[in-house]
Formats: sequence, structure tokens, C-alpha cells
Amino acid sequence: MSYPDLSVKIAGLHLRNPVIPASGCFGFGREYAQFYPLNQLGAVAVKATTLKPRIGNPTPRVTEVCGGMLNAIGLANPGVDYVVRYELPWLANQDVPIIVNVAGETKAEYVEVVRRVCASGLAAAIELNVSCPNVAAGGMTFGVDPNILQDLVAAVKEVCTVPLFVKLSPNVTDIRESALAAQAGGADGLTLINTLLGMQIDIYRRRPVLANKTGGLSGPAIKPIAVRMVYEVASVVDIPIIGMGGIFTGEDAVEFIMAGASAVMVGTANFTNPLACPQIIGEIEEFMRKQGIRSLVEIRGCIG
Amino acid sequence: MLLRVKDIANLAPDIWQITLSGDFPYKTVKPGQFIMIRIGSGKEHVLRRPISIAAVTEQSLTIVLRVVGRGTKWLSERCIGDLLDVLGPLGRGFPSPPQDAKVLIVGGGLGVPPLWLLGETIQAEADEVDVVLGFRSQRDCILTDEFSRLGHLVVTTDDGSFGIKGNVIEAVDSLRRSGHSWEYVYACGPLPMLRNLKRYFSNQDVKGYVSLEEHMACGVGACHGCVCLSEDRSLTRRICVNGPVFPWNEVCL
Ligand SMILES: Cc1cc2nc3c(=O)[nH]c(=O)nc-3n(C[C@H](O)[C@H](O)[C@H](O)COP(=O)(O)OP(=O)(O)OC[C@H]3O[C@@H](n4cnc5c(N)ncnc54)[C@H](O)[C@@H]3O)c2cc1C
Ligand SMILES: Cc1cc2nc3c(=O)[nH]c(=O)nc-3n(C[C@H](O)[C@H](O)[C@H](O)COP(=O)(O)O)c2cc1C
Ligand code: FES
Repeated sequence: MSYPDLSVKIAGLHLRNPVIPASGCFGFGREYAQFYPLNQLGAVAVKATTLKPRIGNPTPRVTEVCGGMLNAIGLANPGVDYVVRYELPWLANQDVPIIVNVAGETKAEYVEVVRRVCASGLAAAIELNVSCPNVAAGGMTFGVDPNILQDLVAAVKEVCTVPLFVKLSPNVTDIRESALAAQAGGADGLTLINTLLGMQIDIYRRRPVLANKTGGLSGPAIKPIAVRMVYEVASVVDIPIIGMGGIFTGEDAVEFIMAGASAVMVGTANFTNPLACPQIIGEIEEFMRKQGIRSLVEIRGCIG
Repeated sequence: MLLRVKDIANLAPDIWQITLSGDFPYKTVKPGQFIMIRIGSGKEHVLRRPISIAAVTEQSLTIVLRVVGRGTKWLSERCIGDLLDVLGPLGRGFPSPPQDAKVLIVGGGLGVPPLWLLGETIQAEADEVDVVLGFRSQRDCILTDEFSRLGHLVVTTDDGSFGIKGNVIEAVDSLRRSGHSWEYVYACGPLPMLRNLKRYFSNQDVKGYVSLEEHMACGVGACHGCVCLSEDRSLTRRICVNGPVFPWNEVCL
């Protein structure tokens, strides 16, 4: 029997397979290269990059909750110039497409960061992070107002020389509005979902566990919400979708694909199991073989 | 790596010692390094728990943990023969002191276990090792027999139910007043203890190393969850890969 074909084409990118470590959960790739060669992956989405270095929020800034985790890292990163000079070149040598996640506090900042990342020639695509719940200014505010979002995407699109993905916030009433706004602004694809705003309280100390008080919820706990949102968005947009939220197994990934995603991102699972991504790739392949599926296009959005 | 529980014993109320065996690079373990242990096998617990390596042989490693929440409770309920999914050894441990150095080891509470391996490692080389361990009360005292074999041991308890009543800084001070002096100080324990110790030695010519704790997600440097601030507060250091042991003059305590 012939091998199933896991490769996917998405917004002009050709990926070996649909599995991509999610932004913020894989650093700039170096740390996971000790576990397996990164060219096994479809692509790598790197940590959010801003114009200036950021040290992020006070600690504790990660904690576990039932079926997931909360994080309030606060976009800690060494700044775009450092990233372009010292982080991306190493990753670019690993024979895997790089998706650079970009964040900012103002439209001008987003535009400038995207310009510098594109100028490096090292990014296969940009992922615009308009959905980070953990910073006071910018971040999520861009993601919750459709008009501001469309305007931002359009401005970034003008300087972006690679496919532009927009990462949507689930912390909205109707995610389809954000999706349509991003599409209208010129996005080549959408990634969803970012984390859901959550909170945990230490009842013995009578205070929030996270120093930031609230944080973004990720992991298996959010998967049904994420699948539903991918399904909803897929039914209204024409641009491709990369789905994520609680993917731990190949079966989880297939759910997102059947909901309408062309590819998937895997975040929290990397922490639980550093080999999560290669295992998920293997499990998708096994599912396809058992089900007689030759290409993922056959099942993408198949639930209608 | 999957390691098998070889032994599990209750050392004190809520404190458990677990010995693990199986394929693991035991020989490379440095005192102060830690492992990340997966809790359960499903999707309920997504974060591994960081636990220091307290002792190591050629075929096994030992951890000592206090039950403080769901993860450590689960660990305390393991049985001999159970498998644990372990990542490690992780982080940078304590650097060895030079031959014949005068060394002080200071531990507080659950900061004591990683110092056990340190004590064993440097005992052979150091000239003199003084050990000061602080606990809340007699029933929390752990590993005191092991440490008494390693050097001159002073134990303090907050309530005076064992050893000297008081805190470790007072005990260190009285040792110094009675003529002890040190070139290297190694410490692990609650942050206020580390802070006070650094302050105590601030204008003396000693090299101090502290082992820090923070909530962790990845344990390998990827998530930036576990950071502490550099001494001048301008940068962050990742405790899981740049530490957990730092020269105390490099970090803001
Ligand atoms: C490098 C390092 C070495 C450690 N060595 C030991 C040791 O040898 N023995 C020991 O008993 N404990 C040690 N700890 C502390 C231990 O990791 C925590 O007590 C444990 O993670 C608590 O998990 P829980 O599920 O029982 O508690 P919960 O409070 O239910 O945990 C919820 C979440 O918070 C995290 N968390 C809570 N308290 C801490 C803490 N103090 N440090 C880090 N994460 C925390 C947990 O990992 C988990 O993600 C060490 C911590 C670090 C960072
Ligand atoms: C520790 C941590 C850091 C994250 N950092 C970023 C980030 O920098 N940019 C971003 O767009 N998303 C970030 N995310 C969100 C993830 O990329 C992903 O959208 C989310 O975690 C849901 O997927 P998961 O359930 O597989 O983790 C982060 C998530 C976690 C857990
Ligand atoms: S725990 Fe992820 S960087 Fe330290």
C-alpha cells in the first residue's frame, strides 16, 4: 500500500507535513533540536518578536490548571534586531520553514518589525500576533476591534514580502468578525486560537497564583472551543487556516483538519512531552493509512 | 526517559524519598541539577514538576520531595515498580570549589536535598566543610544523619525543637564569631534565606552560589516561564538552563 502524503500547501508555503510548533512554546527552536532534527517538522513558529527587547511580566508567570496551563510571559523577547541577527540564522540552517510571530504596541511598531524581519530574508511567513492577552498595551486590543484589526493588517501587508498570517484572539464575542476583518485587510492566512484569558487563585494564600493575576489558558482544556472556532471561521473565509488549541495527539490534529484547518500548531504539548510534534506527525500518518486517506485535502473541512 | 521506582520511603510528615533506576546518564549528573517529572500519563497534567537530584549512584538517582499540591501528591503515591517519565539531568549545578577550599553549605527546608549530593561531591576535595541546615521544627528535619557524616553540622529549628533555636543566618554568624571562615558558600532554600545570606556576606571576600526555584513549563529554556532578574535588573536569566545555580552576585534576590 502506498504511503499517505502528509505534505500541505498553504498560502504559498509548501510544508512537508501539517505540524508546526506554536509560537512561544518552542523558543527559537534550539532547545528542541537536542530531542530530534527540526527538519521533521512542517515549519517552526518562533516566539513573538517586538521592536525593543522585553523582559516580560513578573514571576510566577506559568502554572498548571486541570487539563491545561496558564501563562503570562508578557512577550518576553530579545527584540527584533537580536532575533534577526542571532536566532533566525541558526534556525534557517535547520532546513525548516520559519514562521516569525510579530507583536507590537502600536501600528508603527508592527510595521517596523515586519519590515525588519522581511528584510532578513529568513522568514518563510509572518504571523501577526494581535491576540496576546498578557500585555497592557497593544497585543490583544488590536485583535478585538475588527476595524482596528483590518487597518493594522492592511498597513503590515504593504511592507510584508512573505505570506502574512494573522493570529486571532478567542477572547471576542464572534471570532468570525475578526477573521473577516483580517481577510479584508489582506491576510494570506489565519492562525487560531491564541490563549483564552483565565485565572487561578491560591486559596490558602488568598491571592492569584500568577503575579500578573490573569494569564492565557492553553492545553487540552481549550480544544473543544478551538475546534468550534476553526469550524466557524472556515465557514466564512476563503483564506487558509492553521488551527491550534490543545493538540496533544494525531487524532486531535485530525479534528482540526476536519473542522477546516489546512495545518496545525502544537503549543503546550511540547512541554508535557518534548517529542510531541514528531509523535503527532506519526499518528496523523497512521490514521491516514488506516483510513485509506492519501492526502489531507480529502478530509479538510469534510464535516461540512 | 522512563525510570522505574526502586524504592519509596516516608522521611517525615509529607516528605518522601524516591529512588529511581533505569537508563539515565547518571555519570554526568552535577550536584544542583534537577529533573522534570511527568505527572500521570493523560492530558490532565500538562506540566512536568521540577525536582532536584538529591543523590546519585551508577545505577540510580534519588529525589526527596515535599507534598505541596496535586503533582507532588501523585508522586508520593507511586509504588515500587511504577514507571516515571523523566527529563534530565537539567540545568547547571554547583561548580566544585578548588582543592582545599574552606566551604560553607547552607540549606533551608526542601532546599536541603540538592545540597546532599553537593556535600558528597566536594567532601573529598574541600579542606573543611561546615553545614548549616534550617527547618521549621524537629518533625521536618531531613537528611541530618547524611550531612553529619559530611562535615561539621549545625541544625537550627524555628521552634527550637531540634538543634539550635533560631534561623540559619544566626547560626552562620555564631560559627563565624567562633573563628570559622569560608571562601565558598553554597546555599539552597527559601528566597528570604538566600537574600539574607547574600546580604550577610556582602562585604566579605567569599564566592557565593545559590540555587533558585521558579514555576517552570518546559524546563529546557524554550518558554521563558522560569526567569529571574539579573543583579542590575536589566536582563532576565532562565532558571532552568542558566541556573538553577547562580553566583549570588549575578542575580537579583
Ligand atoms: C529547580 C527546582 C528544583 C526543585 N527541587 C525540589 C526538591 O528537590 N524537592 C521538592 O520537594 N521540591 C522541589 N522543587 C519544588 C517543586 O517543583 C514544587 O514543589 C512542585 O512543582 C509543586 O507541584 P505540585 O503539583 O505538588 O503543587 P501545585 O501547587 O499544585 O503546582 C501547581 C503548579 O505550580 C508549580 N509550582 C508550585 N510550587 C512550585 C515551586 N516551589 N517551584 C516550582 N514550581 C512550583 C508546579 O510545578 C505546577 O506547575 C523544586 C523546584 C525547582 C524549580
Ligand atoms: C508559554 C506560552 C507562550 C506563548 N507565547 C506566544 C507568543 O509569543 N505569541 C503567540 O502568538 N502565541 C503565544 N502563545 C500561544 C500559543 O502559540 C497557542 O496559540 C496556544 O498556547 C494554544 O495552543 P496549545 O493549547 O497547543 O498550547 C503562547 C502559549 C504559551 C503556553
Ligand atoms: S521552564 Fe521554560 S524556559 Fe525555563
